Amino acid sequence: MNDLIQYARQHVDEAEMYWHRTQDTTVRYENQRLQEIRQNRLSAVAVRVIAHGRFGQSFGETPGHTAIVDEAKAASQFGDAAGHRFAEPSAYPTLPETDRSPVEAKSDDLVALCEDVKHEIRSHRPDLTLVIHARASKEHLVIETTEGAQAESETAGLHLAFGAPIQGAGTSVYKSLSATHAFQAPDDLIEEFLTWYGWTERASTPDTGRLPVIFAPEAAFLYVLPLCFGLNGDAVAKETSPVFNRIDEPILSDKLTIFDAPHLPGSPFSRVFDDEAVPCRHRPLVEEGILRGFLLDLQSASRLRRPPTGNGFKRKLFGSGPEVTASPWPCHMQVQAGTEPVEQMIARQSEALLVTGGLGFHSGNYGQGQFAVQAIGFHIRDGHVVGRLEGTMISGNIYADLLDIEALSRETRDASMGMGPAVEAPYVLVESLAVAGR
Amino acid sequence: MRQQLASLLSESRQGYTDIRFEQNRKTRIRFEGPRLTEIADYKTSGGHLRAYEDGGKALASFTDPQEAAGLLASTLSSARLAAKYRGEPLRIAPAPRLEGTFPVSPTADPRTVSLEEKQALLRHYNDLILADPHVATTVSQYEEFYSHRTFVNSEGTSIEYELLIVNIAGFIVTRRDGVVQQVRYAFGGNDEFSKLAGRDDDLRKQISMATALLDAEPAEAGVYPVVLDPSEAGVFIHEAFGHLSEADGIQHNPAFRDRLARGTKLGHPILGVTDDPALLDCPGGYVVDDEGVRGQRTELIREGILTGRLHSRETAAAFDEPLSGNMRAVDSHHTPIVRMSNIFIEPGTSSFDDMVSSIEDGYYLVGAKGGQTTGDQFTFGAQWGYRIRDGHLGEMVRDINMSGELFSTLQALSMVGSDLSFAERGGCGKGMPMQLNAKSGKGAPHVKIDSVTIGGIR
Repeated sequence: MNDLIQYARQHVDEAEMYWHRTQDTTVRYENQRLQEIRQNRLSAVAVRVIAHGRFGQSFGETPGHTAIVDEAKAASQFGDAAGHRFAEPSAYPTLPETDRSPVEAKSDDLVALCEDVKHEIRSHRPDLTLVIHARASKEHLVIETTEGAQAESETAGLHLAFGAPIQGAGTSVYKSLSATHAFQAPDDLIEEFLTWYGWTERASTPDTGRLPVIFAPEAAFLYVLPLCFGLNGDAVAKETSPVFNRIDEPILSDKLTIFDAPHLPGSPFSRVFDDEAVPCRHRPLVEEGILRGFLLDLQSASRLRRPPTGNGFKRKLFGSGPEVTASPWPCHMQVQAGTEPVEQMIARQSEALLVTGGLGFHSGNYGQGQFAVQAIGFHIRDGHVVGRLEGTMISGNIYADLLDIEALSRETRDASMGMGPAVEAPYVLVESLAVAGR
Repeated sequence: MRQQLASLLSESRQGYTDIRFEQNRKTRIRFEGPRLTEIADYKTSGGHLRAYEDGGKALASFTDPQEAAGLLASTLSSARLAAKYRGEPLRIAPAPRLEGTFPVSPTADPRTVSLEEKQALLRHYNDLILADPHVATTVSQYEEFYSHRTFVNSEGTSIEYELLIVNIAGFIVTRRDGVVQQVRYAFGGNDEFSKLAGRDDDLRKQISMATALLDAEPAEAGVYPVVLDPSEAGVFIHEAFGHLSEADGIQHNPAFRDRLARGTKLGHPILGVTDDPALLDCPGGYVVDDEGVRGQRTELIREGILTGRLHSRETAAAFDEPLSGNMRAVDSHHTPIVRMSNIFIEPGTSSFDDMVSSIEDGYYLVGAKGGQTTGDQFTFGAQWGYRIRDGHLGEMVRDINMSGELFSTLQALSMVGSDLSFAERGGCGKGMPMQLNAKSGKGAPHVKIDSVTIGGIR
C-alpha cells in the first residue's frame, strides 16, 4: 500500500487507496439439512485519483501493481473537475472493548451452532421446514490518502439467521443475531420465533381503511430507509430531499430520537472511520422529532460547505463493496427506546397491525418519504393477535404519518441483517396508516 | 488456463469438483445532475471452486490463484464435514461433457469504443434531460461488463466462454411545488454499442412522462382489475412466477414442491410462459451456463399447465427432471445459482382496447419500477398509471404499487395481448449474499388481471 501511495504522489495530484480483505466461512442449512459450507478469501482495491484537477477511479485485487493508479489517471482525462479533496490525517476513536474473544471462522463451530439451533427449535416444532445460516467473518480494511490519512481496522463478526416458511403461505418467519464474539444458540430469540410462528396458523385480512400500526424492529427499515434518503447529503445538496431546508425544525413525532451510533460495543457493524477515512461520530440525526443533522460524505460536504460527518460508505440500497463508490449512508442507526412493554402495547389495541416486514419497498417513491408495501406481520383484534396478515398493503409518508407516534416500546433489538442500514430499534406504534386489505 | 485448472482438479477424483476462473473488464460512467461522479475502466479477476464429496457440498471463492490449491483441499474437507451432518446425500444429474470456446461476436463491439466517446454519449443524454425546465436532477449511468470465463470440471468438461453486456440507464427526477417524481430510462441490454446511439426521441418521451407525473394524483388503495403494459407484465411474470420456476428456490420446501408439480393447472389455457437464453439480443442471452451446461429454451407454462422448470445439475437430480442450463453467477465472488435467462409471456390474441373496454373501475399500469417476491407473494411498482372508468382510460396516476399471491393472480390473468415485446434493460437480484444480475431479460404482451391489491398512498 505504501508503495502505491508513493507512486501516486509522483504521478497524480492526490490519491485515495482503499484495500479490503475478507476471510469468511458460511454454513447453510435448508429444510433441517446441512446444504453447503462456503469459504471466501477475497481481496479488493479501489483507487480514486485527482489528476490535473480531475477525478478518476480504478479497481483491482491487490495493491501490488502501480498500473491501477495509471488506469485511474487515464480515466481522469475524461472525468469532471474535482469538487473535493481526499481525507487528511485524523485521530480515530477506539471502539469500546468487550470482554469476550473475537469470533474464529471455523466450520466446525458454525455447524455446532446451527445444530444447537436446529435441535432447540425441532424439540418444539419438528414440523417446520427450517432454514439456518451462520457466518463468521474477519475483515481487514486499510485506507490511505496522499494527504496523509491512514486508517486501518480489523473486524470480526458472527451472524446467525434462522427461519421457516409459513405453512400454507408464501412468506416466512425469520430471526437474526450478529455480534463480534462467539455466542450460543439464542434462547430468547428462539422463543420469540416460536411465538411468532405460532401466530401464523390462521390468515387474517383487515378491511381497507386506516388502522394503527406497530412496526417491529425487523420492519424498522420501512421508515429508517426513507429517512436515510431524506438525510442523504446528495439529495440535500440537490434540494430533492423533502427536508433539505428543515434543519432544527420538527420533521417527525417528538417521541422519536434517532442517532447514528457507530461505536456500539459488540456490534460487527461498528466503525471508527468511514470508507473515505473520515472519523465516524455518535450524533443525533433526529432529536425529539427535530432534524439535527444530515449524512455527509466528502463530496456532499464539499457541495454544502460543511464538514463531512463520516458517512461516506460503499453501500447502496442494493449492493455494497469495494467497487461501489462511497456515498452518504448511516453507519448504525439507533432509534431510542420508549417505556411501554410491547405486550401491553399489543394488548390495548382494539384493531391494529403488527408489521414485521414489507415486500416491494424499493418500488415506492422512498426518496420523498413514501412507502407502499405488502405488509408481512400479524393482525391484532381486541388486544390479541388473531392471525398472519394476508393480502394486505400498508402505505404512507414518514413525514406525515410518523408525526403521530403513540408509543415506543422499552424493548429494542438489533435488526441489522435485513434490508437497509444496520439498525437497532424498539417497537414503534403509529397512530394510523392507510391499509389496503379486504 | 484450462490445462492449469484441470491439473488442479486432478487431485480430487473421488467426487465431483469444478473450478471457474474469470477475467473481467468493467466500464462505469455516472452523472448525477450535471456532475460526473464516476468514471472507471478496469479489470478484475478471481475464481470459484465447488466440490461434492460423499454427498456433501462445499464452495470457495478466491482472488489470488495461488490460493486455489490450498482452498481446494479445505473445500473437499468441508464437503466431507457437510456430508456427515446432512443425512440424505446430494446428487448431481449427469451432463454431457463439453469442450471448446464460446466467444461473443458483436457487430458494434463496445470494447473497441474509446472511454471518451462513451462519456460523450452519456453526457449528451444527461444534458438532454437537464435542459428540461422541470427536471430537478438526473442519474445517468453507462455500464459495460465483459467477462472471459474458463470452466473445468472433474468429469472432463473444459470450456472458455464470454459474456458481454452494455447499457445506458438512469432516472429523470422532476419537481414542482414540493412534488418530486422520478421516471426511469434504459437503452441497450445486449452486446451491441450501436443500440445505445440515436435514442434522443425515446429519451424525450420519458422526460415528458416525468413532467406529466407532476400533475398526476396518487393512486387510490384498494382491490381492482388492472391492465399491465408489456414492461409491467414482464416484471410480473419474472417476480411472481419466474422465481418459483427456479428449482433451487423450492428444492427444500416440500409444500411448494407439491403445489408446483409438473402438470399442475396454474392459469387459463391462454397463458404460456417460456425461458429462452438463446435470445441473444435480449439481456439474458448466453450460450453456456456457469456449470458447463448449454443454455436451453424451457417451456414453463403451456396452455395454463406447468410444464417445465429451470435447473442446476443438483436440482435436476433432486426433481428428476431434465437439465436446462440456468446455473449462473454474477462474478467469481459468487457461487452459481439457478436464474431465469429471458423469461416471457407468450403472445395471445387480445387487443389492448379489448382489455380496457372490459374494465368498469380499475387501473392501467405502465413501466416497470422493480419488484420483490417471497414464496408466492409478490409486490412491484409502476412508473405511472391511468385510471380506467367505464371502459375508458382516464387521468394519469402516480405512486402506485401492486401486490398479490401468485396462484390466485395467475388464475385471474384473463386476457393476453398479441404485442409481445422485451424490456431493453434486464436485471434481477437474488441470493444471499445478493447477486445483482444484469443479464436477466423479461418480456410480455399487454395482459389483463381481474383482481390485484393496489397500495396507493391515497
